[in-house]
Amino acid sequence: MTPAEFLGDHTFRMVLLGTMAIGVVSGALGSFAYLRKQSLISDVISHAALPGALIAFLVAAALGWDGRSMPVLIIGAVVVGTLAALFANGTTRVSKIRIDTAMAVSLSVFFGLGMLLMRVIANGSFPGKGGIQDYLFGNASVMTVADLVTSISVGGIALAVMLVMWKEFTLRTLDPDHASVLGFGARTIDAVMFATIVVAVVIGVKAVGLVLMVAFVVTPPAAARQWTRTLPGMVALSGAIGGVGSGVGAYVSIALGNIPTGPVIVLTLFAILVISLVASPRRSLVTSALARRRARAAVTRELAMEEGSR
Amino acid sequence: MSFVVGTALLAVVTALACALPGTFIVLRRSSMLVDAISHAVLPGIVLGYVVTRDLDSPLLIVGAALAGLLVVLGSEWLTRTGLIAGDAPQGLIFPALFSVGVILVSASFANVHLDTHAVLVGDLNLAAWDQLTVGTVSIGPTYLYVMLGMLALNVGVIAVLYSRLKATTFDPQFAASQGIRTGLVNTAFMFLVSLTVTAAFNAAGAILVLALVTVPPATAYLVSRTLPAMLVLTVTIAAVGALAGFWLAYVLDAATSAGMAVLFGVLFCVVLGATRLTQRRRVRAGATAPARQAAPLR
Repeated sequence: MTPAEFLGDHTFRMVLLGTMAIGVVSGALGSFAYLRKQSLISDVISHAALPGALIAFLVAAALGWDGRSMPVLIIGAVVVGTLAALFANGTTRVSKIRIDTAMAVSLSVFFGLGMLLMRVIANGSFPGKGGIQDYLFGNASVMTVADLVTSISVGGIALAVMLVMWKEFTLRTLDPDHASVLGFGARTIDAVMFATIVVAVVIGVKAVGLVLMVAFVVTPPAAARQWTRTLPGMVALSGAIGGVGSGVGAYVSIALGNIPTGPVIVLTLFAILVISLVASPRRSLVTSALARRRARAAVTRELAMEEGSR
Repeated sequence: MSFVVGTALLAVVTALACALPGTFIVLRRSSMLVDAISHAVLPGIVLGYVVTRDLDSPLLIVGAALAGLLVVLGSEWLTRTGLIAGDAPQGLIFPALFSVGVILVSASFANVHLDTHAVLVGDLNLAAWDQLTVGTVSIGPTYLYVMLGMLALNVGVIAVLYSRLKATTFDPQFAASQGIRTGLVNTAFMFLVSLTVTAAFNAAGAILVLALVTVPPATAYLVSRTLPAMLVLTVTIAAVGALAGFWLAYVLDAATSAGMAVLFGVLFCVVLGATRLTQRRRVRAGATAPARQAAPLR
């Protein structure tokens, strides 16, 4: 399939633009989660987005609205996703439970709740319950123009918040104590930062699926970090890697035929990460191996010279 | 044995088999690693199926557990390179392996009798469908005996390795200085966890296994101060919670493993709230040290 044919098709164009938008937003905002060493919180959020979206669906159905409208589902998923992230962080604050266990408890219990609600919806007769299971594995090919507009505008708002609060985000991420000393409200900044990360995760869940969304948030920053040493550079590069990786993955999955888009994008991002780990000029595995060999050679030479002068 | 009794027993045995190693998982701060393992076993199961053509083969469980171990060792290696920070290494490897699994299922093995939905969610009632009969008498679901075997293996390995596990969990440096091969103990233990997760996967699904492994030990951890106390409490909570969750799901006609996960979650929140209340009362009564700063678990 030629790129021209590819772009000429409405469905393919939607898949490409939709996944690229998701890749850019989650890549850029994932940088903050990565630098705060809490990348896996995105996994908690994506699993909690399921009961959130389902509750929103049930509420909308009870009120007689269209349960499948993307804004309604996004609001539900953002609210419950934020609750799950706060529950995990709050548990570590008030008890001796540590963050990994708190995240595991939050993730699995919210997901269990989602599965109970899924059964309720499957057994009941609700209008438009058809596509609701897409949240599990994701389905990029059912993206409509309205979905795309919603994802881009909600993601755009999250990116705009990041830019407006750039100074606060940077300080809180790189030097939390200094931020508190200067009088920045740590709790407020954290809440806003996690809310933007929640948005980044939630807009992708329907297209990518809740299991794989974590890769969109973790992989681009980890790859970008190998090439850059500044925060603006990292956020920009991570967003670019997310966008390009998603675009390439979406193209490959469609060009090869009947292969789900989400997994192919994840593997593309993983390939970019491996290349970064091996080949980046400053800190890669190859560079450090070369440096080690050079140092060893220098020591051997020095010892030989000492031996010779004796 | 009637179907309901057999299935309830399966629920209890599965919960016990998961929660027992879970105690050490929670203490070792590897809870999220279980999440990674439970997803990574998917490609192992698919490839194992291609080789054996039998979804119930024990070889399948071993192959899948090896895939789970790949995540453990891979993320340990990535952490050691110093190139990736924080908890990201686990989050990098398991989605890639899971993607390989999904692509394998959807692309070339469309005839595989493996529903990806069932893989994520699991179905206890389906797992209990196959009944084992001696003569003409049914003695419960076949899978009950698989999980009983897994439970026995867990009890055995933990009993044999108990002192070594304890040392490597609480003070790895001390353990190494005593001549314990910490790396070997870690790998052996994580392989056991990987096996357990894979075996429980049919009954509980990839994600809810995480609830069975981590939530009962986390609840026990809130209120115990010694390892034996925590082990006893964990086992009690797992058994009682599994029975109550099974009953709840039975009454409400809901998915069993999801019901169990939510019930364990409610139990966790209740205990968390209760410990908070007693803590506050103690602080108000003038005790100098709140329970939070009490001696760490030994």
